[in-house]
Amino acid sequence: MSQPKKYPELPRKKLGPGWWLSNRHYTMYMLREITSFFVAAYSILYIYQIAVLANSPGSYARYLDVLKNPLMIGFSIIILGFTLYHALTWFMLIGRIQPIKLGSFKTTPVQALIINTVLLVVISGAIITIFFMGK
Amino acid sequence: MSVAARIHALMWGVFSLGGFIAAFLLPVLIYVNNIAYPLGLWPMTSKDPTTLLVADQLLGSVFVLVTIGGSLFHGIFRFQTTLPELGMRGQTDRIVSIGYAIIAVGIIVLLYFLLILNPSFLKMLPIPHP
Repeated sequence: MSQPKKYPELPRKKLGPGWWLSNRHYTMYMLREITSFFVAAYSILYIYQIAVLANSPGSYARYLDVLKNPLMIGFSIIILGFTLYHALTWFMLIGRIQPIKLGSFKTTPVQALIINTVLLVVISGAIITIFFMGK
Repeated sequence: MSVAARIHALMWGVFSLGGFIAAFLLPVLIYVNNIAYPLGLWPMTSKDPTTLLVADQLLGSVFVLVTIGGSLFHGIFRFQTTLPELGMRGQTDRIVSIGYAIIAVGIIVLLYFLLILNPSFLKMLPIPHP
């Protein structure tokens, strides 16, 4: 048996699927959440690339030609844009919910964004150096 | 804390870790594999970047597993909470089930093919070896 509610339920406005277009802040919020689609889509696409590489060298050569298709390059640029947007908004969010404390000093979200963006550049450079430079 | 609550907390912890992985490691992989290589931009490599990563280097396979596995978890987990906000509220349970299925199958398939490409990768996994 369900328990009686402590408080009366307030009337709630029923929102349509496009509710997030009515306000700039809502749109930015939804844009941030939608980055997850591109992160997931790229991960699935990359797993497919690994599967093709493991299965057949001939098919993999054809897949590499698909990567060079201008449409695929355009799609990849869009994915990279959304992934970078995910990164920057994530850094901002982390700075808000878990600021770095050093004595009485506490980082602001913008400072966290700057520190993490520098870290992103350093890590990306290190990965390129370790795995790809001169190979 | 109940088992369900512990699992729920663990999932949110992995989601958060996946968010860091997708933020710090995924952009460079997309750039090198899907933009720099097809366009012949820096850093130019003799082979395609994925072959260099998974067929030639053990560390590269670990990088791919962590980056793609973490990003897949984060992306699907976050997207399955976004879909109900886009008008699919009645389908929440089905969306969550499909989401977890995609994550599980994706990570297993990725691990399987990484092991085929680089069998020495098995030695790095926390399982007993003969």
